[in-house]
Amino acid sequence: MSGFAGWVREATEPSAAAGKPEALEGIRVIEFCPGHFGGMVAASVLAEFGAETVKVEPPGGDPLRLVAPEEIRVAGTGLPFLSEARNRRFVTLDVDDSAGRDVFRRLALSSDVIVTTESPERMEAMGCDYPSLREERPGIVYLSLSTYGAFGPDASRPVRDSDILCQALSGAPYIVGEPEGVPPRPHEAPTRLGNWHGAFVQGLWGAYGVLAALHFRAETGKGQAVDLSGAEALMMFADYNITWMHTGGKARERVGNFDPAVFPYTYIRCRDGYTFIAAYNDEAFDSLMHIIGRPELSRDPRFSTPKNRVVLENERALLEIIEEWSGDRTADEILVAVEAYTSKRGGPGAAVVTGRVNRPLETLGEENWRERGCFVRSADPVYGELLLAAPPWKMSGTPARWKSGCRPPGSDNRDVYLEILGMTEEEYRLLAEAGTF
Amino acid sequence: MTRSRRSTLPSDPGSFRAFAGRAFDPAAIPGKPEALAGIRVLEVATRIFGPATADYLGLFGAEVIKVEMPPRGDLMRYVAPEGFFWKEVSPAFLPLNRNKLHVGLDLHPVEGKELFLRLAERSDVVVENLRAGTMDAWGVGYLQLRERNPRIVYAANSGFGQWGRYSAGRASYDATAQAVSGFSAVTGFPDQPPMKAGFWVGDYTAALMSATAILAALAARRKSGEGQMIDLSQAEAMIRTLDWTWPYAGLTGKDRARNGNVDPSYPPSGIYRCRDGFVSVSARDEDEMIPLAHAVGATDPEEASIATPERVGAFCASRRVDEVVRISEGAGFSAAPVRGGRDHYHDPHLRARGTVCSVDDPLYGRVDEYGPAPKLSESPGRVKWSAKPVGWHNERVFGGLLGMTAGEMEALAGKKVIGKWADLPGARPPIGSAP
Repeated sequence: MSGFAGWVREATEPSAAAGKPEALEGIRVIEFCPGHFGGMVAASVLAEFGAETVKVEPPGGDPLRLVAPEEIRVAGTGLPFLSEARNRRFVTLDVDDSAGRDVFRRLALSSDVIVTTESPERMEAMGCDYPSLREERPGIVYLSLSTYGAFGPDASRPVRDSDILCQALSGAPYIVGEPEGVPPRPHEAPTRLGNWHGAFVQGLWGAYGVLAALHFRAETGKGQAVDLSGAEALMMFADYNITWMHTGGKARERVGNFDPAVFPYTYIRCRDGYTFIAAYNDEAFDSLMHIIGRPELSRDPRFSTPKNRVVLENERALLEIIEEWSGDRTADEILVAVEAYTSKRGGPGAAVVTGRVNRPLETLGEENWRERGCFVRSADPVYGELLLAAPPWKMSGTPARWKSGCRPPGSDNRDVYLEILGMTEEEYRLLAEAGTF
Repeated sequence: MTRSRRSTLPSDPGSFRAFAGRAFDPAAIPGKPEALAGIRVLEVATRIFGPATADYLGLFGAEVIKVEMPPRGDLMRYVAPEGFFWKEVSPAFLPLNRNKLHVGLDLHPVEGKELFLRLAERSDVVVENLRAGTMDAWGVGYLQLRERNPRIVYAANSGFGQWGRYSAGRASYDATAQAVSGFSAVTGFPDQPPMKAGFWVGDYTAALMSATAILAALAARRKSGEGQMIDLSQAEAMIRTLDWTWPYAGLTGKDRARNGNVDPSYPPSGIYRCRDGFVSVSARDEDEMIPLAHAVGATDPEEASIATPERVGAFCASRRVDEVVRISEGAGFSAAPVRGGRDHYHDPHLRARGTVCSVDDPLYGRVDEYGPAPKLSESPGRVKWSAKPVGWHNERVFGGLLGMTAGEMEALAGKKVIGKWADLPGARPPIGSAP
């Protein structure tokens, strides 16, 4: 490993993160997002950077714990919840009860950040909406996540926020998948991103909004409300939808694995599955045609300019030509061929890019990710050993890190209510007996 | 376990909504302060991953100086849908480069490196997305920069990270990350090939993660006084988003299946075909499942299992999208239309929220864009101006910020250390507007 790579490795080695300071040390986050994955993501991101994070669940546990694809549960909790329940403390609280609402308000007023997915009306009825909390704690940052946002003509639509609603509204599925034939086959439809990408990006933009607000607070002392629609969060990733409509009157439509702006930029069949191939600027396209042994095609009028290459029928023709070459090669052989050629060419001609379309187990089988600490195996007396994605950021000064995994509902009640809220043993016992938590 | 309910508590109707309408009013944004005012960002990046990272910082008030190699600049300038340029700029370049100052600066000659180092002395953040180690090899990497400015936060965005067996020389685009992470393998239909998302999701997702880490590093700097290096791989960013894929693989030793348009965590929630388009139907728990089952024809309303994907599919197929949404609102399950760019452009809700916004640009006139998603009540994000030709702000940055004279700039331009746009669509100003 060269000098610089060696330096970065030593400076950012994830296994050495534990002894280093944390970026958000001293920031307390209260997560009140029953049944909601995006809220968990927002809180997780802040917690991975070191915020002290407390998740408030209803007594008995968060409804999201019940969500269990293929009915797989570990000690009663499904895998989606387990995958995101990191770096936080778990308290239970019955907020439908007046004593519980009082405890929640005390908790909220002890914190720097509130993350909630409950409706403004419900938070208002609890006395914990933003305007009433800021009366007593003007520096509070209050993130509220929903499908449509807290204002605007559709804000009051009665939906329970979910990944699929946010994806649908975002414009993402509209441009993912195959166009409709006549008659359309079942898969010729706007296609859902297979993971909860809508909810994940909602949480990520939420965390970003909170960090921007905390930056402003550090400069001015002022807190604020942050309103985030999950649909709009993913919408910001929908390329040039609006600028193309505005300048050309055109909307993006589905073109399967083709692309209206860059080609080749697609998945190609190879001997062991599929791999990605891109070479869309003229110099890179010329490189690719050399690699596949068809240099004359750089001058073929169908392919000789970026504009001609993105005509859909030319994309189809080119895909066929490339697959004649790739069909009897493995993804790894294709990578070797690309690197052998591009390592001799600098500049735009080197922009031939490839990478195997991995199944998850294939990703897990690649030593690179293990070496870079991308996965953690958590171990817990209740939930056993779990394979989880680690925080993706490697940082030299204040690395993000995985610290702890899921715990049962209410595991941290005593610590949080006695230490943070300063409850007496007597008060704690009475509330526990009354079923407040 | 307790289940959350729809509006279980009495409320004073609308007082928060009224507050929100005032506090987030897009018309009031120009008079409000910006969250990241005073933060200066240097961008040395092409295409999407790096430029989007800097764009997200710029939307919230950071001053972004986009350093481009003259005269062609960022190769994203030439990525144009169907080859279409508007006023000599690509509509695909615009949304990635709002609120930036564009300088043309070649980092290869010694004078170019020195200018860059002088800019870095006056900056808080560097964002780059060159192949791993390139900036270091050029003498303008993190180790050289921190000698001149120990407070610098340096985000190195790449495909596979700055170290490790895949890092050396290997290039990456959005779809590399989609492919190698396992994201594409879980997207699409079980009897069809893996589906590449038709938008550059592997870039934007990682860009947002990079921008998030930059804000965390700035928070850390407030306490320590020191900057740091951030190494972010876009493949690793996508790996992090795959929710239960990994614990499932760990426990079962199996690959999670592609599940088409039904969410395997909340069946039958999914996307369904209607007479006139597509709709998403969502039922998170029994409180929504029972009304859904009833709506799609269950005779026993307690029999939630009758809301199979087939039943919901048949129910939607004979109805219009707006009918399904209306029925959901009355019945107590959730539904929303599948929308595209044309719908967004004309959507009064998105316009009222500033999520689709218009900017009055001095060079291009009115440009409509997606505005920032998070709405901040006190220090909101905003689009102030659109992308510009290569080197458009050379005088402002080299003259105004570094204090160079016109003569000095002319000499450097003569040596091609600094420069402006090539005479090409994508790089140059609108015809007839050039100064």
